[in-house]
Amino acid sequence: MDLTLQSMAQMAQSIIDGDKDAALRLARDVLSGGGDPQTAVEEGFIPGIQKVGALWESGDYFLPELLASAEAMKAAMSVLRPALAAGRAAALSQGKVVLGTVEGDIHDIGKNLVAALLSANGFEVIDLGADVTIERFIVAAEESGADIIGLSALLTTTMLGQRRLIDELNRRGLRAKYAVLVGGAPVTQKWADEIGADGYGENALAAVRAAKTLAGRR
Amino acid sequence: MSPRLILQPEGREVVCGEGEILGQALVRGGVPLNLYCGGRGICGKCQVEVVGGTPPDEDASERRLRETRNLPVGSRLACRLAVRGDLSLRLPSSSLLPQMPILVGGKSRPVVLDPALKKIAFRTEAGRPPSSWEGLAFSPRAEASLARAFSSASGSGDVLFTAVVYDEGEVLEVEPGDTSGRLFGLAIDLGTTTVVVELVDLVSGKTAGTAAGLNGQSSFGADVVSRINAAFGNPPRLEELRAAVVRTLNDLIRELLGRLAVAPEEVGEAVVAGNTAMNHLFLGVSVDGLAVAPFEGAFLDRPPLAAGSTGLRMNPNGLVFISPNIGSFVGGDITAGLVASGLEDLPGRHLFIDLGTNGEIVLNNGGRMTAASTAAGPAFEGMALSCGMLALPGAVYKASSDPSGRWAFETIGGLPPRGVCGTGLIDIVAGALSTGRLSSGGQILDPSRRLALAEGLALAQQDIRELQLASAAVKTGIRMLLEAEGLAVSDLDGVLVAGAFGTSLNAANAVRIGLLPRIDGRRLTLLGNASLSGARAFLLSRAVRRRGQALARGVRHSSLAKSPDFQAKFIDALEFKQWT
Repeated sequence: MDLTLQSMAQMAQSIIDGDKDAALRLARDVLSGGGDPQTAVEEGFIPGIQKVGALWESGDYFLPELLASAEAMKAAMSVLRPALAAGRAAALSQGKVVLGTVEGDIHDIGKNLVAALLSANGFEVIDLGADVTIERFIVAAEESGADIIGLSALLTTTMLGQRRLIDELNRRGLRAKYAVLVGGAPVTQKWADEIGADGYGENALAAVRAAKTLAGRR
Repeated sequence: MSPRLILQPEGREVVCGEGEILGQALVRGGVPLNLYCGGRGICGKCQVEVVGGTPPDEDASERRLRETRNLPVGSRLACRLAVRGDLSLRLPSSSLLPQMPILVGGKSRPVVLDPALKKIAFRTEAGRPPSSWEGLAFSPRAEASLARAFSSASGSGDVLFTAVVYDEGEVLEVEPGDTSGRLFGLAIDLGTTTVVVELVDLVSGKTAGTAAGLNGQSSFGADVVSRINAAFGNPPRLEELRAAVVRTLNDLIRELLGRLAVAPEEVGEAVVAGNTAMNHLFLGVSVDGLAVAPFEGAFLDRPPLAAGSTGLRMNPNGLVFISPNIGSFVGGDITAGLVASGLEDLPGRHLFIDLGTNGEIVLNNGGRMTAASTAAGPAFEGMALSCGMLALPGAVYKASSDPSGRWAFETIGGLPPRGVCGTGLIDIVAGALSTGRLSSGGQILDPSRRLALAEGLALAQQDIRELQLASAAVKTGIRMLLEAEGLAVSDLDGVLVAGAFGTSLNAANAVRIGLLPRIDGRRLTLLGNASLSGARAFLLSRAVRRRGQALARGVRHSSLAKSPDFQAKFIDALEFKQWT
């Protein structure tokens, strides 16, 4: 069965509405109806999450809406990704991100949002949680073969941990293996440049954009 | 048979042990007798009139006082008299401790005037050695001053001097002449955003005057976290922060003392009620421990400090008492507020909420007290908004909207509206919600994404978001604290609200936007600046001070952010909706 424009509009709408149940149902319908999962992802669900990004940036959407949409997207992708042809799945996969809040910092709402949006946008996310030591970041990145290490910090005191991780990667000769993405309330582009990070996200969506740029470069 | 004490004119009887000190028996019997010098027979404030019975002869200190102070015939010092038989007594009101009302939220709670710092005047013969002042420990400085007072008066008859006594035991300073009628204290509410200083007359217990201003540390950041960050691992910056707040305080103190014609030397004690970061920074103590997990400060409680070491504009030989902290993010301001609110004495289950840059919440669950703090940010104080301002003249502090959407404002000082403070913001959001101009998700529905209020005054979308974040932080804190104790909102007997809002918060609107739980108005009490009232109570009463210290130790500090469902609850709480 071919996917109709109408059904793809419904997919986009389910993401915009943050309606996880509808997104799941629409994704399953694609598979049971013999539709093309790649078309559903690229022309149904992804335009939805893009619209959500625009609504967030215009101030119309706030954290609850953003999070609900990210969850709906994650649900739809969990159904469709296994059905994609291997090559196509790889092509759709943006890359692997090891993500966490740095040591000494227990704040993780922002980081969780980034994790949800990265997954929604096709990244494979290994979320290490909060108060993560430099060693754990590096071990997780090495073991998973990550492309990107993402570091969140809410405090100017703990954001020093971002610099320490980069220093440690340099010391171990691992710096070139990973792109380092930084974010968090006190973090600025200036800070990212100063410590030699590869990318910076002012907010969760900007972090996803930066991650895409970084993944594209690799 | 035990001797009986008959109190005239009521005829009330107090039973007394054979040989018991009269003053102690009276206090035990509930008489608020003024044992100002701690029963040493040196201040003469506990005189009672013996109108019946035969009291024993006076002892040496009473005789000395009778000679130097002209103690009237028939009057005896209750603190020196060992009772050996029935006595009939009349108690002059001047010998009883006055009850000072501590005003909180328009309600007054009486505190018995018994300050930690007292002045006692002595008149004695020249040449008498200081060692005769029984039980009083003289600081080296006080001893030197005393020696000077004696040497300058040698051979000229009586010596008149005044001892400044701390906690009925330690003489901090000796002043020549009788200065016992002039002793002042400072009650300080050391807020992250605003600072209030009150000058209290420690002799009468009355407030002499108040001054308020912005915390001079504001240039280092608006909230506690940014101040901590500024000082982290940076001793010169820590010193700058300390100096900034001391400068703020001293400017306010200078203004107050000048206005009220009080000399700095007459100010003997200051009580500082501030959050944990603020009291660390005020003392120049490192806040590095507060900056990173596990977030522990350098101290919770500490003994009073020599005023000279703090740089406060007051008698350098006086003392500075820091209201004890409950935890890293529930500080001495909350301890003071709790003492003033009387939360611990309330039966049943009551919630105390202090709404400021930090939102602190304390639950009294049938005697079990638990506290938590949430980072609300400066929105409640009117800061961080595009049109926000502190509660200063011209600030919209009350607002309502008619169904057509026309606004009616009340501003501080009745001036044309210049900006919006915390209570005004809550009213405006509640009004916009009920007139359909704002979605419950917080979206301004007008395509301009602005909420026009008056000529040149509008709320931007981001302002609403700031209130949502602040409100959600507090709401989540309340929810989680209640859940941790297995309680629901319906189990609460009452809610006490203190803090930046003062008493002008429209409780119905706060409930409408979901900031406060739904609870009928009768059980919601607005306390106003409870921290300042508590600081004043600490100045006026040693008993209250001891209670505050015990309270700070007894309240359990609960860390909310570590809880796994904090995020889900927080996100849910962002919506403007009433509690269910």
